[in-house]
Amino acid sequence: MTGSGRSGVLTAGSQTWELTRRSVVGERRQLLSVMPGLIFPLLLAAVYTKQFSRVLEMPGFPEVDSFLDFILPACIVQAVSFGATAAGSELALDIENGFLDRLLASPVARWPILLGRLAGAAVVASVKTIVILALFLVFGAKVAGGPAAMLVLVAVAALLVLVIGGLAQVMAFRTGSQEAVGATFPLIFVSIFMSSAFFPTNLMSGWFKVVAENNPLSWIINPVRRLVINGWSSADVLQALGLPAALATVTISAAVMALNRRLATP
Amino acid sequence: MTVVIEAAGLVRHFGDIVAVDGVDLSIDEGEVFGFLGPNGAGKSTVVRMLTTLLHPTSGSARVGGCDIRTQPGDIRRMIGVALQDAAIDPLMTGNELIRLQAVLHGIPRSVIRRRGPELLERVGLTAAVDRRVGTYSGGMRRRLDLALSLVHEPQILFLDEPTTGLDPTSRQALWAEVRRLNTELGTTVFLTTQYLEEADQLAGRVAIIDEGRLVREGTPTELKATVGAPTLRVEVDQKHVATTRDVMTGFGEERPSREGRVAIGLSEGAAHVAAVVRALDSAGVTVVHLELDAPSLDDVFAHATGRRLEGSGDGQ
Repeated sequence: MTGSGRSGVLTAGSQTWELTRRSVVGERRQLLSVMPGLIFPLLLAAVYTKQFSRVLEMPGFPEVDSFLDFILPACIVQAVSFGATAAGSELALDIENGFLDRLLASPVARWPILLGRLAGAAVVASVKTIVILALFLVFGAKVAGGPAAMLVLVAVAALLVLVIGGLAQVMAFRTGSQEAVGATFPLIFVSIFMSSAFFPTNLMSGWFKVVAENNPLSWIINPVRRLVINGWSSADVLQALGLPAALATVTISAAVMALNRRLATP
Repeated sequence: MTVVIEAAGLVRHFGDIVAVDGVDLSIDEGEVFGFLGPNGAGKSTVVRMLTTLLHPTSGSARVGGCDIRTQPGDIRRMIGVALQDAAIDPLMTGNELIRLQAVLHGIPRSVIRRRGPELLERVGLTAAVDRRVGTYSGGMRRRLDLALSLVHEPQILFLDEPTTGLDPTSRQALWAEVRRLNTELGTTVFLTTQYLEEADQLAGRVAIIDEGRLVREGTPTELKATVGAPTLRVEVDQKHVATTRDVMTGFGEERPSREGRVAIGLSEGAAHVAAVVRALDSAGVTVVHLELDAPSLDDVFAHATGRRLEGSGDGQ
């Protein structure tokens, strides 16, 4: 829609870049709001590691030196979920104060607006993941897949922001209210607990096991965990990155559709 | 004259509510068009449709020759938009917003490095460019909002209630800038307002909207003329009253007035005051005091809808 061919793509690229800059600058200027999302998962990981050290001896539990290794992906996913829903609320704020209209009234394609709004949160999530990784390593966790696996972890965190943030953006367009978007956070929070994040699904039973096994978060957490515990595997890398990338495409497309519907529906 | 904004039978529903109920518009290039109406009359909804932010339920409109449904991208490149409430991200600085706006419009950096400071200077924000917008006053936000909408030098400018809530000085400054844009650059301006004075001061042509429909349209003078002729009251020395009455009734029918004064309805409008004065002068009458009561746009609104506009005190 903005020009055609190469120049159109270039324009959309620089527009996305500039909107990304905006959201990164915005995050940096309210850095304090990031802290709870970092501290809470770390505290939870510390408490669980202390309490659940004997769980490691259960038959069927993955072979790890420390519960820290097991809980690392969960800690990252949790930290990510904080910032991601906040990114959705920021879009709702843009809608409420009318800034979104300014963007929409300019010749910008729709997706750079939405992607750019999430990119700041994705950058913050990457930094959070690096901090968490560093702290875990200091306290004795080991990443069997090595530095390359750590990079994958960081990338997964950034992609998960786009997945969850896209979902929150759909809510934002549907309701146009920050409060309603904020309400998606408990949903994500609970679904982390109803996944393999804190316990292996093979040790679960009943309906909880069924839910956890079919929770897309488990499908992302499991390969990530194997990269941490077992070592590098191309198949796991593909699953760990491919699934959130695909889901992000779906949720952001849904957000673009929700935006278009918002313009049209009476 | 080229028509740059035209609408035919624009309708917009929100659920059961009919916000805009069949609006027709035709605005020429270089006009300042005032869209006047009370809160909730449908002004903003019309602006949102014309600026491609909202699809009409039915009807059609073209802006700059492009259809609002099928060519929104072309319209967005042509228009500048400053919507109600000066929507700007409070965490960013004035400079950053100018740059963002420029990139969104695909303006090269070299151009905006020159144009950005010029624009900010013109709206009097040079000292505040590196401050976060969250610290700006309401007037500063509006002025930044206007500067942002001008970054790409649009041919058509939409201003939705640009001075609502501003103090008189800021309002005057904004009016001056709108006039300058129109006279120096030939920018077509579509302006919504609930202030009669604003429409009267700025707009060459005014449409009054009420409950989603246009109830009057024309130049402010034409509209006022539809309400009736302005009243001219002249106070003269007692001995000249009879002569005065003879002279003045030649310009319009007599209206009731106090002792020692003569009042007429100036059927040809306010422009004929001078002629009346000249005629009195040549009849040897010395005028002690003269008053002209022109009908205001508020009278026009009241005449059309049976109600008075909010804040109509401004229009007197």
